[in-house]
Amino acid sequence: MLLRTRIAVTFFLLVAAVLATALAVVSAANRHNAEREVGRQLDVGARVFMRAMETNREQLTQAAQAVAADYAFKEAVALRDTDTLASALQNAGSRLGAAVEVLTTLHGRVLAASGINIKPGMTFPLARLLRARGVQEGNSTIMVADGRIYQLVAVQVRSPLPVAWVVMGFALDTKAARELAAPTALALTMSVRSGSVWTTPITTVPDGGARRGELVTRSITLVKRPRLEVVATLSRSLTAALAPFERLTRVLYLIAGASLVGSAFAAFWLARNITRPLRQLTDAVDHIRGGAYDVPVSIHRRDELGVLAEGLQVMQRAVSTRDQAIRRLAYDDPLTGLMNRTAFVEALTAALGAASAGPVAVALINLHRFKRINEHLGFAVGDAVLVKIAARLTAPPAAGAAVARLNADQFALFAHLPPGADATAWGLALQSRLAEPAVVHAQPLDVHATIGLATAPADAAVAEDLMRCADLALEFARREKRAFAAYLPTLTPSARDQLSLLGELRRALDADELRLYFQPKWEISSRRIAAAEVLLRWQHPARGLLGPGVFLPFAEQTGFIRQITRWTLDRAAAQGAAWQKAGVALPLAINVTVDDLADTGFHLSVARALEHHGLDPALLTLEVTESGFIDDPKQALRMLQALAALGVKLSIDDFGTGYSSLSHLAHLPVDEVKIDQSFVRQFEADPEVAAVVRSAIDMGHRLGLRVVAEGIETESAAALLGGMHCDLGQGFLIAKPMPLAQFESWLRGRDRVAALAVPAARADVAGASGSRRRRAIKVFPA
Amino acid sequence: MNRRRSIRAALAPAVVGIGALLCGAGGVRAAPVTVQVTAGGGAPAVDAVVVFEPRDRVPPPAHADAIIDQIHKRFVPHVTVIRTGTSVTFPNSDRIRHQVYSFSPAKVFSMKLYAGSPKRAVVFDKPGLVVLGCNIHDTMLAFVLVVNTPYFAKIPASGTASFDLPPGRYSMRVWDEALAAPVPARPVVVAAAPLQLSIALDLAGTHDPVAAWP
Ligand SMILES: [Cu+2]
Repeated sequence: MLLRTRIAVTFFLLVAAVLATALAVVSAANRHNAEREVGRQLDVGARVFMRAMETNREQLTQAAQAVAADYAFKEAVALRDTDTLASALQNAGSRLGAAVEVLTTLHGRVLAASGINIKPGMTFPLARLLRARGVQEGNSTIMVADGRIYQLVAVQVRSPLPVAWVVMGFALDTKAARELAAPTALALTMSVRSGSVWTTPITTVPDGGARRGELVTRSITLVKRPRLEVVATLSRSLTAALAPFERLTRVLYLIAGASLVGSAFAAFWLARNITRPLRQLTDAVDHIRGGAYDVPVSIHRRDELGVLAEGLQVMQRAVSTRDQAIRRLAYDDPLTGLMNRTAFVEALTAALGAASAGPVAVALINLHRFKRINEHLGFAVGDAVLVKIAARLTAPPAAGAAVARLNADQFALFAHLPPGADATAWGLALQSRLAEPAVVHAQPLDVHATIGLATAPADAAVAEDLMRCADLALEFARREKRAFAAYLPTLTPSARDQLSLLGELRRALDADELRLYFQPKWEISSRRIAAAEVLLRWQHPARGLLGPGVFLPFAEQTGFIRQITRWTLDRAAAQGAAWQKAGVALPLAINVTVDDLADTGFHLSVARALEHHGLDPALLTLEVTESGFIDDPKQALRMLQALAALGVKLSIDDFGTGYSSLSHLAHLPVDEVKIDQSFVRQFEADPEVAAVVRSAIDMGHRLGLRVVAEGIETESAAALLGGMHCDLGQGFLIAKPMPLAQFESWLRGRDRVAALAVPAARADVAGASGSRRRRAIKVFPA
Repeated sequence: MNRRRSIRAALAPAVVGIGALLCGAGGVRAAPVTVQVTAGGGAPAVDAVVVFEPRDRVPPPAHADAIIDQIHKRFVPHVTVIRTGTSVTFPNSDRIRHQVYSFSPAKVFSMKLYAGSPKRAVVFDKPGLVVLGCNIHDTMLAFVLVVNTPYFAKIPASGTASFDLPPGRYSMRVWDEALAAPVPARPVVVAAAPLQLSIALDLAGTHDPVAAWP
């Protein structure tokens, strides 16, 4: 049942119950009062009746005594002068209104009579009573004669001894009954029992006995003898007595009915008054559950519901605030307050969905020199710079625009452009805004921002695609060392482009367009050159010199990398052999990929190259990335063992980036590990990274390996690594990768080529301290 | 009424004495007769009247006088026995007036309302019981028993009355105002020897003094 109905029904029933109880009590009280009142009336009536009877008796007695005391009457009695006696009696009785006057002897024989059908000489009906002194002189008694009832008084005639009875009486007929009952407003009924038969000769009850059941009665026994009983019954109609109360009760019923109807309305009004705001609150709660926190709860009441509504409002605001905070954490960059990538992509998607009016331009902004600011001036300054840049990007705020920080030094920005607007102009304006140095602690800092721009719907329609286009443009700008580049379809390598690239790579091999570049590995302790890594560049006839990032990932994807590796192997072996013949025993390292290790004939190719050019196998190092062991570790291991058997050196490249195969390291026939440059770049600032680097170095040493650190760019890093006993270093601090001619002149200029202090043979170390090595392996991954 | 008997008893011997004196005048030697009258329980029936009526002769009327006084609204004496023809005077010793009357068949009379001594006496010339009343005072009551014989007596406090009766046959009659019915006349033969008689009266019923002396 609805709360509203329940409240209303409960209220209504309560009122009904109260009214019913009240009415029942009032009715009962009325009846009780009426009965008591009638009882009181009957008491009074009985007293009045008895007094009237007594008055009758006194009057009769006085009259009878007056007659009996009259000397002439006594004389007439003595003379038995019947006629005189009768007239004297009648005379006395008529004065009083008596109905019967009789003179009898002491034995009850009638001497004279008047007003009753009794003749002298007859025996008076009460003769026996008179004889037996059952009637006291002056007391009244009842006689029934000829169906009539008489109240009699008998008085003796004395002369001076008693000689006769004077009997006088009133008739208790209907008229007398009315007169008796008149002062009391009661009805009087006289009942007579003759022998055992009851009759009711006289009654003043209206309608006879039809409504006798509703009468309240009070009986007075006037006489009770063996053969005669006369009872006077006073009665009062209870219905009549209740009549005034019933009028009151009817009014009460009317009031109760009105109250009931009123209470029904009040109950429904009250219930609705309670449940309507409850319904509003429920609706509000539903909305809030749906995520809407701006539902107006317009319940202005001073009761508990008002408090509840207010509480709901407050709760709504609190939830909203917290929700926004959570959203900020999820979608915002805590440092700058800008969106993060997730939020930005969402916003961009929304903007593209809504952008029917004009183009949407997306710019990816990379802070080129930011790493160096962090390194040289500390993170606090770096953060300050980021905040400044963020402020510049967001001011002035543009409608339909959004700014995000995608990662450490990369921002993203999109804006609605007016129809027909030039996206390039917008991008250039953005660039000029970022060109100014950022001032931190009164120190102007140059922030070289590179911007890649893409425009929807011209370049792409979907947010992700649009961002990729911008990314390609950014990449292009960086490659071209430009501050700004807009996306061109040519930047996206299409399938056809890729086919043509493959063709171009084939041609490049044939046309000898690939170039070997050399980057020295130097002994950290002495700064002497210990080896060189061979790197590749592509001298493209149309696009100029291309870095390995442009074509090597593609070559790896297509499997063409094998040809490139063999070409590199051949050329590097040739160059190494050339230097060997010239007396410079500089070990060269070339990169070997997963595909090469998977090629079961690879070791034969290596052997052929060494033999073909006459290069000492010890002067050739093959650098393998850890990822090379993931696909088929067994095959990789077999290949490495085959290669080791040739006498070439093996090096693990990008050491530390793939922990999964480290457990295999102990079993690998490797001579060298190269700590990835990502560690080296961070380990100065981050003690944890430094610890990892130190562990890696120690680990390598325990395994009897030479440890090379890549990406050394500063003296401090070099000094730190020296302190950690890192063997070799590689990086811009000493030299960038250089083409052959430059490298040879650089070598000559430095004259730094030294005989390498090759560490003790692996086998020795393994034999001497196998257990130690195992322990070290365990420690390393932690 | 019984309570009053002690007062009347003082006068009774005098009346009997007169009767005896009259008898003795006849010259016949009389015999002593005593009659004891008792009520219920053996108590003396004071003021009961005993009368001996000669059955062989009728005594001549007497010409005697008697007095019934009225003192404190009472007749004194309450019971009086007289011979037929006796004149009775009714003096009034009270300061209030009385009106003496009788509706008894033996003597119906009514005196005028009076105080002091009336002018004339009332002659009771017929035997019978006469009930006297006062028309003013209903409670005043007196009995006058008029008899045709000189031999009568009221029972004194001793309960025994004495007679000197000449020998002969008599009817002895007894009356008391408390009787309900007549006591049957009793034949008595008086010889020269003294005679002692006793009668127990039943006074328990409803009093009807008139009926008791038919
Ligand atoms: Cu008197």
